[in-house]
Amino acid sequence: MIGYIARRVGVSIAVVLGIALVSFIVIQLPPGDYADGYKSFLIEQGGATESEAEAQAELFRQRYGLDKPLPLQFLVWIRDMVTKGSFGFSFAYKRDVGELIAERFPRTLLLAVLAHLTSTVVGIVVGILVAPRQYSLADNLAAFAAFVLSALPRFWIALAIMFFLVFTLEQEHVTAFHSPQFVVVPWAFGSLEEISRTWAKLLDLLQHIWPVVVIAGLGGVARNMRVMRGNMLDELNAQYVTTARSKGLTEGQVMRRHAVPNALHPIIMYQGTSLPYMLQGELQASIVMGLPTIGTLLLTSLRNEDIYISASCLLIYGVLLVAGNLIADIALVVLDPRVRFS
Amino acid sequence: MATSQNELGSVTGLFSDGQDEEQHESYFQLVWQRFRKSRPAIAGGLMVLSLIILAIFAEFFAPVDPTDANLQDSFIPPTKIRLIDADGKLHLRPFVYNQVVTINPKTFEPLWEEDPEQRYDIQFFVKSWEWKILGLISTRYHLFGVAEGGKIHLLGTEKQGRDLWGRACTAGRISLSLSLFATIVSIVVGAVVGIVSGYYGGVIDNVIQRFVEFVASFPQLPLWLALAAIIPRTWDSLQVFIIMVIIFSLLSWTLLAREVRGKVLAFRETDFILAAKEMGASDARIIFLHLFPNSISHIIVVLTLTIPQIILAEAFLSFLGIGIQEPLVSWGFLMRDAQNLQTLGTHTWIMTPVIFIIVAVLGFNFLGDGLRDAADPYSIV
Repeated sequence: MIGYIARRVGVSIAVVLGIALVSFIVIQLPPGDYADGYKSFLIEQGGATESEAEAQAELFRQRYGLDKPLPLQFLVWIRDMVTKGSFGFSFAYKRDVGELIAERFPRTLLLAVLAHLTSTVVGIVVGILVAPRQYSLADNLAAFAAFVLSALPRFWIALAIMFFLVFTLEQEHVTAFHSPQFVVVPWAFGSLEEISRTWAKLLDLLQHIWPVVVIAGLGGVARNMRVMRGNMLDELNAQYVTTARSKGLTEGQVMRRHAVPNALHPIIMYQGTSLPYMLQGELQASIVMGLPTIGTLLLTSLRNEDIYISASCLLIYGVLLVAGNLIADIALVVLDPRVRFS
Repeated sequence: MATSQNELGSVTGLFSDGQDEEQHESYFQLVWQRFRKSRPAIAGGLMVLSLIILAIFAEFFAPVDPTDANLQDSFIPPTKIRLIDADGKLHLRPFVYNQVVTINPKTFEPLWEEDPEQRYDIQFFVKSWEWKILGLISTRYHLFGVAEGGKIHLLGTEKQGRDLWGRACTAGRISLSLSLFATIVSIVVGAVVGIVSGYYGGVIDNVIQRFVEFVASFPQLPLWLALAAIIPRTWDSLQVFIIMVIIFSLLSWTLLAREVRGKVLAFRETDFILAAKEMGASDARIIFLHLFPNSISHIIVVLTLTIPQIILAEAFLSFLGIGIQEPLVSWGFLMRDAQNLQTLGTHTWIMTPVIFIIVAVLGFNFLGDGLRDAADPYSIV
């Protein structure tokens, strides 16, 4: 099993490197670079002549290594990432990309994990509840809701929720993680007063991020529910369930001890594939809501031709996906002894 | 003994070439029989069909020219269709009131109100602005409209005063064709890769499968976003359309490649393929005449299930103003103004083109689910 896990980790690292390469190439595809923008800025705003501006732009390129051939730029980028933890320099923010990402990555992860957990738990519970009542009103309602929820564009749900928050509930500061009065409050648990303030800050945080969690999770609820319902139906029709019933177990015991544990295995395997869905939902929702996460950073950097941020954001998304798949694979191996290591 | 011989005789009689040919149903007849029994699938098919008709004959369904920009008519709310007039009198023919603009005394914003003095009846097959059927035959007929001088905006108007309903119908052309073409390209790539991978097996299969896994582990939406964002602004509509098709098909083919490979792997060992090989059929003949037709049902199912995903992704990109640019419009593009919360707050109706997206996605999903059940008509339900 250790060998299997090591092999999976090795493959994942190779895939991540590949994603890094492709992200880098994609970002370098358009003609021109940030120095060109800088040059035209100097000519239009600074009153510099063509040659002066060109010289400045050339200096700029030398300073940030933009004059080097592309393969070398890529290698330097990867090397700095591994050795220094530096993701390159953001021209628009005039900061190291690593800092920007370090600031936003935990938030993205928090949103994605919260969405993932809620969608999994809710989806599984609903799936378990509707499966024994196949084709009942509740089952049909759940199926209908799942269909409609996956048909609604998620950016539109985000718009609708935001509209509701702003114009109906008249809530202010929707496009942030905290209300202004809580931004400087530290996460501290030292004294009773600190704990109560941290608690208030947590509530404030939840009040701001629930739309994103709900939007990212909704489609996941629908998918998990359908998979769980299908699995449960398969298990409930199996012979061992009939045996369990004829032994005189109550329906609740049959479900708890036999059907549910067996139906859960495919869901674990399925988690790896539902992660991209959550991340895309998170991306759409936070862009529409304007929450400062990786998604919004990616969008602004694409508009600014801020190559290192764009490439790093793409890479982060790739790493999240690959890691999610890896964790799902390993969890399955650990939990299900029947899985073969091939 | 005698009875069994008798049965045998009647069975062989079935296959003998008699004058009265035995009725047998082709594969597609069997599929259709099962498909039409599924009510959601039929509903889905009708939804998709109506959207396609709306898109192709968009001008026929648009009482007002959707390309007619007029800043005076900016953000007119949807016209209310009425049966009961201001005096409480019932009319059998639905009508609309004239919409007039006043200035809101507090905010100085234009305020559209109905003028109960001026009533316009809704008429069917009216003659108004000129358009061309399929861009060829010139005509002036429209499905519905109001008498000369009146205006009817079912979904209101957008920023530049163009009719949102007409624009949403026209936008279907881009939204539907873009996702259809992108899906077809990804289907072709996926089917070829899948068949090659499954048919040749061995090292080729291994290499191709590793590559498929690699492509499948890309973050789809962020990469689409990045690729669409780097399209040069100077490109013309056709170039943008083609490149968007390529971008969307780039990451969508992996699912199909895997499924087709599985099918081909299963078929490779069957008798009819072995027989074809023994008779000296070439690889190309086996692939195109035997393997491909046998996977087609599967391919159609994946087609109908991939289209809605691309419609949704495209809507998001156009909503952000990335990718599709004017003069091309797609459903997501129409809702672009809603990005500004202030605009959205005062003009809620600019979010309505989402109805088209919902109908399209639901329709294709229902259709795909129904086809999946029907694609294998030999199985027992």
